[in-house]
Amino acid sequence: MASVIVEKLVKKYGDLEVLHSIDLDVEDGQFVVLLGPSGCGKSTLLRTIAGLESSTSGDISIGDRLVNGVHPKDRNIAMVFQNYALYAHMKVRDNMAFSMQLSKTPKARIEERVNWAASILSLEPYLDRYPKELSGGQRQRVAMGRAIVRDPDVFLFDEPLSNLDAKLRVQMRTEIKELHQRLKTTTVYVTHDQIEAMTMADIVVIMRDGHIEQMGTPMEIYDNPSNLFVAEFIGSPGMNLLKGKIVQEGDKMVCQVNELFLPLPDRLDATVGQEVLYGIRPEHLIPSENGLKATISVVEPTGPETHLFCHLSGHDVCAISRERMNWKADEVVSLEPIVDYVHVFDAQTDQAVKRKT
Amino acid sequence: MNEAQINQQDRRGGRKLLAFPQWLTSEHPFPWLFPATAMLVVFGIYPVLYSLWLSFFKRNPATRVEKFQPSWNWSKLIEDDRVWDAVVVTLTYTSVALVIQLALGMLIALLLDSDRRGYGVLRALMTLPLVVPPAVTGMMFLLMYDGSFGVISHVLYDLGIISPNAPLLATGSTALMSVIIVDVWQWTPFMVLIMLAGLRALPKDPFEAAAIDGATDIQAFFRLTLPMMSKIIALAVLIRGIDLFRIYDYVKVMTDSGPGTATETLTAYTGTVYFKSADFPYASTVAIFTLLTVLIIANVFIKVFKVRF
Repeated sequence: MASVIVEKLVKKYGDLEVLHSIDLDVEDGQFVVLLGPSGCGKSTLLRTIAGLESSTSGDISIGDRLVNGVHPKDRNIAMVFQNYALYAHMKVRDNMAFSMQLSKTPKARIEERVNWAASILSLEPYLDRYPKELSGGQRQRVAMGRAIVRDPDVFLFDEPLSNLDAKLRVQMRTEIKELHQRLKTTTVYVTHDQIEAMTMADIVVIMRDGHIEQMGTPMEIYDNPSNLFVAEFIGSPGMNLLKGKIVQEGDKMVCQVNELFLPLPDRLDATVGQEVLYGIRPEHLIPSENGLKATISVVEPTGPETHLFCHLSGHDVCAISRERMNWKADEVVSLEPIVDYVHVFDAQTDQAVKRKT
Repeated sequence: MNEAQINQQDRRGGRKLLAFPQWLTSEHPFPWLFPATAMLVVFGIYPVLYSLWLSFFKRNPATRVEKFQPSWNWSKLIEDDRVWDAVVVTLTYTSVALVIQLALGMLIALLLDSDRRGYGVLRALMTLPLVVPPAVTGMMFLLMYDGSFGVISHVLYDLGIISPNAPLLATGSTALMSVIIVDVWQWTPFMVLIMLAGLRALPKDPFEAAAIDGATDIQAFFRLTLPMMSKIIALAVLIRGIDLFRIYDYVKVMTDSGPGTATETLTAYTGTVYFKSADFPYASTVAIFTLLTVLIIANVFIKVFKVRF
């Protein structure tokens, strides 16, 4: 096990810079998820850590060792790929034993490690099958087995669950997390699925266009998005964002959105007249007696909760309620934002407006 | 209007834009299969069956009379040492040329398997030998092998590898290998093309996984590339093998089976019996024997190596 430290990493393809001076510090035993939309550079960052891509400048250290220019095989890492990358002509047993066969590990030891990995991943019945004879979930497990048999310093996962169906994805998610809790191996995991990131990570790293936008525990990021991009990217349904302006009302500041005056949290570091985006997550916009009047356009019951898509003063907003009311489209509902959970973003810089301490 | 005409109108939305003759719009398979079937029957099946039929006749070269005597040519073939010598020459030629072409083809394909600038041009240049007619290639090498002014012989003399008293194509021990080299020059690019197609179609991920698993490039080649290419290699061996087995042009142009019968292959011997001895029934017998040999070897190969088309 080891830490992974990335310092001022730049990656260019020709003239195109895809990673801009990335700094990342993964502590020993941590589960770090790189999250971002397609093309944000998260896979490139992972592949550069793996040594499958060379870096243009900057340093990568695994443990105490600087690994710039070190061949992937000499980094003592293991990687799980999106489409499994199993060796189709080898049986499951040989797929898992391959790395140890190459390093000339004694046969008995290989046997022992393969059986150990197979028992952890419930792969014993499939050891003598070929990958093509397995289902997607089983193949993914073989890929993980191949990674864990070697007891590497770092696990790298490159969107490992993207090819699985929804139910299996949830199941494998839990298995990977369980595996991490058991082995405590430092893990860097790439995904574009925010639910995966939120549920599995110790630390989530949100990336966009080759930059790190925000880093933190899942709840930190969810509760305190540092900018508009993070706020929009995390959460499903997404945060409601209403364009407005800060105005003074009596001794308090409020946000004027068209004809509405929305309450703001105390001690907000904003100025009167500032153009802002008023952000409120759907679960913090609750139906109540004396709220803002909105017209329901669509009602989506999901079971545990009901999503209400409404028109509110020229904006489309979503509210989530756990109460089972018999709402119907075109009805008027009264919604109240919980003021403590209101987020305010500067309309010019997209950065969150912080509270004064 | 009959049914076909109604259908024809329906298909064009009720309007007759192009009036194809009815047989050209037939949905019955026969009109479509007929031309190819006719070609196959006239130029493929009939000649084979006729050859087989011919092999059951004994020809008297003096009277030119052919008499039905089914076992005559076949027992002659079994006792004919030249046939068995030709079998040995053909198998030697095929296997040696195949091994060299396969190894060289794979090696060159590995070198050319790159997206870097200029490699496309190299890949295109690689195919040039394939467009030279084999007979012309034979003539070209005949000149280059020539004992008095051929460039290849000259260089080999200078290097002391061969003696001027033993010209390459006129010496029993070197003639066959010399012809094989010509075959290698002309047909290795074909192997390269097949291998390249295979290499470029290989998925990248397993190689990245292997690199992380600790494989060197050479280990990756033997543990991944070769097994993953096995089907394609088997197919290439089959296609080239059959082609090599019926080698005629180089031998005919360069050595005419000589010196003696040192380079006499089965097809060359068939040609000799046919054109020089004019023993058509016996030539047919040797030809049918050659065909059967190829069929048996090819099918055993397909079974053993599980080749799929």
